[in-house]
Amino acid sequence: MRPNTVVLLVAVTCTLNAHVARGQSITTEGSITAGTSSDEVSAVATQLRAFGEVPDHIRYYVETAWATSSDDNSDAFGAAYPYRDRVQVIEAYGERMFLPGGTVVGARAGRYRTPFGISSGSDHAYTGFLRAPLIRYDGYFALSNNFLEHGADLLVGVPRFTVEASLGAPADVGSAVRRSGLDSVVRLQSVFGPAIVGVSHIRTLPYQPASFAFGHTDFTGIDVRWMRDGVQFRGEWITGRPFNGTTTDGWYADVMVHRVAMGPVTAVARVEQLDYDTTTGLALHTKRQTIGARIRLFEGLSAQVNVLHHKGQLDQYRQATIDVGVTYSVRHR
Amino acid sequence: MALKRLNSPRLRRATSRLALFLCLATVATLAVPTGAAEGTDVHGIARIAGRPAPNIVVWLDAPNAQRPSQTAKVVLDQRNLNFSPHVLAVRVGTTVEFPNDDRVFHNVFSFRDGQVFDLGMYPIGATRPVHFDKPGLSRIFCNIHPNMAAYVLAVDTPYFGVSDESGAFNLPSVPPSRYTYHAWRAGAPELSGVWTPGASESNDAKLAIDWSK
Repeated sequence: MRPNTVVLLVAVTCTLNAHVARGQSITTEGSITAGTSSDEVSAVATQLRAFGEVPDHIRYYVETAWATSSDDNSDAFGAAYPYRDRVQVIEAYGERMFLPGGTVVGARAGRYRTPFGISSGSDHAYTGFLRAPLIRYDGYFALSNNFLEHGADLLVGVPRFTVEASLGAPADVGSAVRRSGLDSVVRLQSVFGPAIVGVSHIRTLPYQPASFAFGHTDFTGIDVRWMRDGVQFRGEWITGRPFNGTTTDGWYADVMVHRVAMGPVTAVARVEQLDYDTTTGLALHTKRQTIGARIRLFEGLSAQVNVLHHKGQLDQYRQATIDVGVTYSVRHR
Repeated sequence: MALKRLNSPRLRRATSRLALFLCLATVATLAVPTGAAEGTDVHGIARIAGRPAPNIVVWLDAPNAQRPSQTAKVVLDQRNLNFSPHVLAVRVGTTVEFPNDDRVFHNVFSFRDGQVFDLGMYPIGATRPVHFDKPGLSRIFCNIHPNMAAYVLAVDTPYFGVSDESGAFNLPSVPPSRYTYHAWRAGAPELSGVWTPGASESNDAKLAIDWSK
């Protein structure tokens, strides 16, 4: 039996048999999203999550996902989950947090999203954007939001400044699956009033075939978030090499506005750019702008609309595109 | 030698004085009326259609009650992608701390009614205070995690409580009087009525709340 299958079975068993967690804490969530794009792409995705705490303050988080898309070559609806038409374990980890005397110490082990930059599922899924940033998507010689680790992660510091280090092996589930081996991520994060600034570095293995992609993958990134009075700015700039003889640079900047007067509407906008170069002359240079909204229709049901404008070498996309998605989410505690 | 010292008159005098002091202190403590002795502890079970229900806020109107200069520290934690407790009742004038106990960022806000605020994003280990200075219901959400929700009900009375998992609630030290009671739960109209504590040997009183009535 494959390790992923074992993890999946444990996750489903724990979720369905909530009585095993009696006396402990468990929250379960289910989400389903359906979407369509004028790029002639339709997609459906579901996620099932269980998380909480067991005795000795050990926390757990398990997330499984199934998603399918009518076009595997499109990044539509790929904000945070892979579309592989099979049930996959996205995350399954345990962690223990310590907060002694104003300091922060956290240890995590298991299967988790690669902690590079703005990386948690809740940062990217259903925030108002229906696509991942170009620099964070599987197939563009960059760092994917679907990168996962099998490993251990340590966080130390104080709330205003933390250092995080992860050591593990790639365990990806998207269309970009890195070669097996040891990889490491280091991330520094600091808080300056309403701004949060992070610097990350990853050394891992390429997801391209070993027949032509030699060497390691190395990326360094800076991420910034700022929020006040319902207005959030965030962005990442990432630079590095997917493998020997290549470079990828890219960035995205998001603004999300959720003011009192806007009621259930969150307005979003993104500008981004991706540049991939090789010594052999093959290259990918593209830009994209997105405006849109997330509208909370009623409890648990929300709609997302994005209007995108592409410019560059991603020929599979129309210059102007509209994506529409509807998500229903339910939680049981 | 050591035994002689223990039996010395000086030591015996000191021991007697200490015993006298402890007796006087005990008598003085018992003689001072405590807050609990000034009123009646009101106990009750909150029910929905006859079944005990948690997270129901019960309070008694007390327009003449004095507001304390300081209130105890009240915390609404963000832990395991949940607000804890899910329903919090506070007295008007209370400052509630919202610590982030998760490794992910949270962004607590209340836009709809009650106390309107937006705390912005902050990381694990950090906390933000909110002063609830007017009565009413505040619906609390996280802008990053749409499934996180909680309620804070600020009431202008010292006599309030929230029912636990067994539906039980407790309003401590309620002076004998005639009261208007209120009961609130999420998604239902507020219950209210007139209530007078009955005489009881155990110095407590019962108040029943049931939405089926």
